[in-house]
Amino acid sequence: MRLRPAAVVALTLAFLACSPAGAGAAGRDDGDSNKKLLRIELEGSNGYTVSIVSSARQRVTVLATQEGVEGAPSYAAEYLVQDTQPSPDRIKAKVPGLGSIAVSFQPRGRVRHPTPPGCKGRPPTVQPGVVRGTIKFVGESDYTRVEAQRAEAEIEEPRGWRCHPGAKLEVERIRRNAEWTSKLGARTLGTYFIARKYEPGVIEEGQVLFLAETGVRFETAAGRTAYIVYRRATVTAPVSAFRDARPERIVISPPPPFTGTATFFRTPESVFAWRGDLAIQFPGVDPEPLAGPEFEPDYCLREVGCIRQHLR
Amino acid sequence: MGRRGAWLVGLVVAIALLAVPGGAAAKLRPGAKYEIQPARLAGYMDLGKRNGYRVGLILPDERTAVLYVYKIKWAGDRSSFTATTYAVRNQASLASGAIRARFGSLGRFSLRFRPNGRVERQETVQSGCEGSPAFTEYGRFAGRATFRGERGYLRFSLAGHAGAISHSFRLRCERGEADERPPGSLLGYVAPGSFFSSEGNIALLYASSRRHGRFVGVAAGHLEEEPPGAEVRVGSFEQRGRMAIGHYGFVYGGRGTLLTSPPGAHPASATLDPPAPLSGQASYQEEAADSRRWAGNLRIEFPGLKLPLTGPGFRARLCVLNPLYAPRTGCDFFKAPPPPADERPALSLGWMPR
Repeated sequence: MRLRPAAVVALTLAFLACSPAGAGAAGRDDGDSNKKLLRIELEGSNGYTVSIVSSARQRVTVLATQEGVEGAPSYAAEYLVQDTQPSPDRIKAKVPGLGSIAVSFQPRGRVRHPTPPGCKGRPPTVQPGVVRGTIKFVGESDYTRVEAQRAEAEIEEPRGWRCHPGAKLEVERIRRNAEWTSKLGARTLGTYFIARKYEPGVIEEGQVLFLAETGVRFETAAGRTAYIVYRRATVTAPVSAFRDARPERIVISPPPPFTGTATFFRTPESVFAWRGDLAIQFPGVDPEPLAGPEFEPDYCLREVGCIRQHLR
Repeated sequence: MGRRGAWLVGLVVAIALLAVPGGAAAKLRPGAKYEIQPARLAGYMDLGKRNGYRVGLILPDERTAVLYVYKIKWAGDRSSFTATTYAVRNQASLASGAIRARFGSLGRFSLRFRPNGRVERQETVQSGCEGSPAFTEYGRFAGRATFRGERGYLRFSLAGHAGAISHSFRLRCERGEADERPPGSLLGYVAPGSFFSSEGNIALLYASSRRHGRFVGVAAGHLEEEPPGAEVRVGSFEQRGRMAIGHYGFVYGGRGTLLTSPPGAHPASATLDPPAPLSGQASYQEEAADSRRWAGNLRIEFPGLKLPLTGPGFRARLCVLNPLYAPRTGCDFFKAPPPPADERPALSLGWMPR
């Protein structure tokens, strides 16, 4: 099937912040707490973890993540597709051009009621088991690959609780949000970039956290949504990568998977611009520009305030 | 005119609203301090569109008649605004329905109100006040109204026109809620306060002069967070015999309108290149600690007046701030040093950036 990127997608920056309870896998619809979720976790090639979650409103999320260790970047790519199988214990979905999933769930073992931190309300019911069928997913340019006929799985019934599953991640995110000293963000439709500088010792392997997220909707030749993919990369770097001694001219030069540099500066019109050749190289796809006239930048000093720039 | 300039269109409307007091129902707080808002009579006559200008006569109180003339021009989704106002004393008694206003050599209004029976009563008094609600009588001002603007930009001779008189009663108001008292001088009616507000600007260029009894000010400012461009405001006022004349111009200029050196740069410099109704350019250059050059061929065309905005007698200032360290009120370069003597009359009328 021939696909084309049809549109960029508004980003929520909630990526990974709301993932189902046990596995820490993401599902953007998981706020619908009264629907059963079927969750499968697999080991992909090249150090990736591949999670498949069927969520509310018949959506399936395929999430490929690679946690960075010792300063290496972290990647996540989240593919949202339609589930053609309305039953909560089955998944039948295609990620056009990248794979397909057709499995059914068989319970194995005792029901659990996990209570991870950060969740409120009645704990969910989690039924462990296995799925059988066909799972095949090959990331763009083969950045990761997984194939299986059988996999460990579980069905979670939220029973009305409100949870930001993957609460460990959430707690860490909140802590990081609370302890930055300065930050510079730039956004345009479908792309977001942020650099956050911390006091020494707050984050590992450096003092600056760089994050880029993109969202793209692919559609078929007939104009139907084939899938939506959100990608994210984070990496830490030393303080020299974020030079903001002069708030009217700030230079950013993050390490790989970022390339190039970008500068936040004030023009003679007193407009704050974000220019340069900064780009993000996500695995398996072309580099994505992260600076240019279409980006709206903002820069904040924690104890002082923010500079924001609107384009329209 | 852009989004923020829309208030200027309301300048005339706001004056007109003087004639139609009203507002939400109010109960005074027990224990509050009170002030009295005197009874007031106001008249209004919309003379419609003439020679491409919107024209009207307002009597904001019994003793004053203000003729306003304005034009709004649209270019795409942006517009510009120019206006001229003439304020004189009403020599007759509006209480008896009479207007006798002489606008120097430009014209005179000699009219008497004929009510048509239609009366609108306000249901409530203005917020924070108690007393009897105002009412408005509608009808026609009959008689003769003639006017010939400077160099003939506007001419009319009318045997009256539809209008209204509004009666508002003495009100007891919580302190601070009563309407401001009418200005003591006629200049106060043609030089409204806050026209040159500097709030929110992170770059503001301001030049003013006072020569031969005419105060002229031009301000160009770029607001924090806004896209490229600048608001440009020009105003002048003067007393000519027994008449006060005010001129206003507003336009939102796009990219390239105002360019400045960055904050803290020495010597600071700026250029101003605004769209119509202004023409030409002006440049600002700091030359020494207390010496600034303001040069160019910047001009504006008001209804009835072409005014140069550079040249001898102009004094210019530039303020460029970093939003992180700017006070929330934006540029404020009139706190220190104190305003020079030639600008004090303007300051007292609220015409300086503040």
